[in-house]
Amino acid sequence: MIETSILSSLSKINEKYQMFRTITSDTEAGDAEFLFSAKDNLTSKDMETCSGSKILEGYRPPFDATSIARMRGAGGLLVGKTNMDEFGFGTFSTNSAFGVPRNPYDPERSCGGSSGGAACAAAVMDGHVAIGVSTGGSICCPASFCGVYGIVPTYGRVSRYGLLDYGNSLDKIGIISAKASDLGKYVNIMAGADPRDPTSCMQPDMGARRKLKSVAVPKDATEGVSEDVRMAFTDGLETLESLGVDVDTVEMPSLKYAIPAYYVIATSEASTNLARYCGMRYGHQKGDLSLKFDDYFTSFRSQYFGQEAKRRILLGTFTRMVGFRDRYYSKARMVRQSIIGEYRSVLRECDAVLTPTMPFVSPKFSDISKMTPLESYKADILTGPPNIAGMPHASVPCGYDRNGMPIGMQLVADQWDEGVLFSAAEEWEKTFESVRPEVSI
Amino acid sequence: MKIGLEIHVQLPTKSKLFCPCPTTDAPAPNTHVCPVCLGFPGARPMMNRKAIEYGILLAKMLGCTIRDTTWFARKIYFYPDNAKNFQITQYDRPLGEKGMYYLNGKKPIRITRIHIEEDPGKIKRVGDLSSLVDYNRSGVPLAEIVTEPDLSTPAEAREFLGQLIRDIRHTIDIPDDGERSIRCDCNISVGIERCEVKNVTGLKNVERALTYELVRQTKLLKAGGKVVRETRRFDEERGVTISVRKKEMEADYGYIDEPDLGIFNVKELTERLKIGESPQNMILRLSKEYGIDEKTAKQFVSTSVELAHLFEELAAATDTETARTWTSGAVSAGWKSFEARGGGDAAEVVSLIGKFKAGEITDTECNIRIRAFLTGTDVDEVRSGSADLDSIISEYLDVNPSVIEDYRKNERAANRVIGHVMKRTGGACSSAEIVDATKRLIEERL
Repeated sequence: MIETSILSSLSKINEKYQMFRTITSDTEAGDAEFLFSAKDNLTSKDMETCSGSKILEGYRPPFDATSIARMRGAGGLLVGKTNMDEFGFGTFSTNSAFGVPRNPYDPERSCGGSSGGAACAAAVMDGHVAIGVSTGGSICCPASFCGVYGIVPTYGRVSRYGLLDYGNSLDKIGIISAKASDLGKYVNIMAGADPRDPTSCMQPDMGARRKLKSVAVPKDATEGVSEDVRMAFTDGLETLESLGVDVDTVEMPSLKYAIPAYYVIATSEASTNLARYCGMRYGHQKGDLSLKFDDYFTSFRSQYFGQEAKRRILLGTFTRMVGFRDRYYSKARMVRQSIIGEYRSVLRECDAVLTPTMPFVSPKFSDISKMTPLESYKADILTGPPNIAGMPHASVPCGYDRNGMPIGMQLVADQWDEGVLFSAAEEWEKTFESVRPEVSI
Repeated sequence: MKIGLEIHVQLPTKSKLFCPCPTTDAPAPNTHVCPVCLGFPGARPMMNRKAIEYGILLAKMLGCTIRDTTWFARKIYFYPDNAKNFQITQYDRPLGEKGMYYLNGKKPIRITRIHIEEDPGKIKRVGDLSSLVDYNRSGVPLAEIVTEPDLSTPAEAREFLGQLIRDIRHTIDIPDDGERSIRCDCNISVGIERCEVKNVTGLKNVERALTYELVRQTKLLKAGGKVVRETRRFDEERGVTISVRKKEMEADYGYIDEPDLGIFNVKELTERLKIGESPQNMILRLSKEYGIDEKTAKQFVSTSVELAHLFEELAAATDTETARTWTSGAVSAGWKSFEARGGGDAAEVVSLIGKFKAGEITDTECNIRIRAFLTGTDVDEVRSGSADLDSIISEYLDVNPSVIEDYRKNERAANRVIGHVMKRTGGACSSAEIVDATKRLIEERL
């Protein structure tokens, strides 16, 4: 039997934290073995799917995403669709058309993004499993800001069928939970080849779990990170060493190019993915039919896309234009290859690359509103590299700042080597004492 | 004058290029559709292996270089029939490149590339103010073949297309569904600058559109004007081309690689797939090997490659002249009907002609039995029908003996008889049958 009392208080919880875009009306769990939520960019037959965008308001997809279908098949009950930055475009979940999720440790602060609602749900609701999606850091960032565990499997491990695309060559579906053992358990349920996503069909079997024995820390891993984060990370390293893990410092000079390359590839792909949203076939469709088709499309896209979506469409359209394509899009893809090469050579010598997850603790909304787009893009400096490389990675909580805001550290393993991350997170959980947020409804 | 063509051919797969929807005629608009070909959020393409195989066969037929890997690209443009507002096509790594194809076995036409892409849906205008979109065609696999500007006249372009389509149909086994299914973009320049006439349907229209452009550009240049680089479309009813957009308005499609499909290694597949002799090469070989004229060889092959094979069997069993006469005559006359009933083993024909050669049956009897066999009718029925035909012809020849005299000077005199008999029989007999019988009866009286 599972705890079902949470079902009846879902709407109250959501009123306070705004982590859900849609919630189930079920009050009984029936035969369900566990409750889970999914980020609102995963299609669900029984629930609206908007990806945080006004342009898809009211859209009910005709099919379930493979990840959701497999969770249901394993006995899961989908309790809601979690709030997010529009199409995943953001680091703080402040770019949603449907409210902003509140950090469970301080409602004046962000949950992180773009899977902010997912991390919030995992932090607030006991025993909850949240499916998140990461393109450039959208699982580890909110997991770190909300003091929970988050894992991003290797690119291609979990089928993307039913995922509303941001950057198809970067998008990865993973798990966020307050319990480390959930990471391996639920990734295993969602993983596996799916003919409806050809990029999932070349994967080897999930490797065996194996103990984390050595980590490599890039020399400039803590450059530019806040003092609180640096201290918590240093404590984390000491704890690991006390557990018998070898810690090495390595040079990884190409990682600093990850963010520019990531934004070029991600926006290039995103600007093509978003082309289909034009007021035809799904989502909002009531427009002025006397307009010519291109004016009709323009009117919808101008009216319903948010600022950040428009910015990324413009950026991505620019980087793939004739005359710029080679300079930006093609070059960024070469940068990706060299980052992958650098990870692989470091990971031949050790089990994981370790860095802090975010350069700072969750900022206040008042500070976020003052950030320039470039400043907020830079917040992905540590989560960008494993994401552009498609390497599996996890964020585990490793400390709290003087205000009690959680801090996380990020482990990056070699391709298809999720096993070492599952066991590392579980081992870590035995040593590290989490401070749960006080939740009052 | 230089003409280059971009030819779109639908590949004969059972399902669409990226989803399991059928490619057959749909009972109603938007019934052969699914989330993939409607471009629904979250759905993504799955590759149809058969389409790649057909593409490789065509690339081989065109003598293209096929590299070990190939991949797809997104071509972004907003249009209501374009479900995702991008089309999945091939850009910097097409299936085949740098091919060579010979017009009539002589003139080399360079093939720039052949690639595979998805067809968009169809737009149907309803009144002046609205349109409806049918996505049944969305995602149907196409091969696009691009030639260098090596064609010199509109007639040559038409001849080239006719030959190309015949070879394509044979190579990937597409039933002959008339020339309407061929869509073509035509590039033509009389002077320096070229124009593109988009989306012309059918061989005849390609020739018409090109001829119109030839005249238009020539007049323009003579009058001291300049041809501007632009895209035009062909108005079939009025027979004219109309400017659609100028060069500076040409779209930048912002191509990126299709990230959902990855890279295909086609090395093994390319090695494994073999193509047989193309119809065009067969025409040339038959003419050379058997010493028959190219026109006759083309007639056999165009009717059916199987008919041409039968000619070869007959030549081996008897002699070239006997094989040629009978294949042109009675066998050709009944062949369409034979294939319409499923075709198959025609050894009976070889055996009948063998009997005639051995003097066991008369040529009239042989003729009747061949036709009975090919059309699946009773021998007696053919015999009485043929007797009717023979008697109509004989009757005419009796009344008009001058035909025989004229025929001695010019074989065309037979056309008078044929015309008369066609009228009299009113479609009951095939024209090949009539021609055959007329010539036979005239020659009997010579």
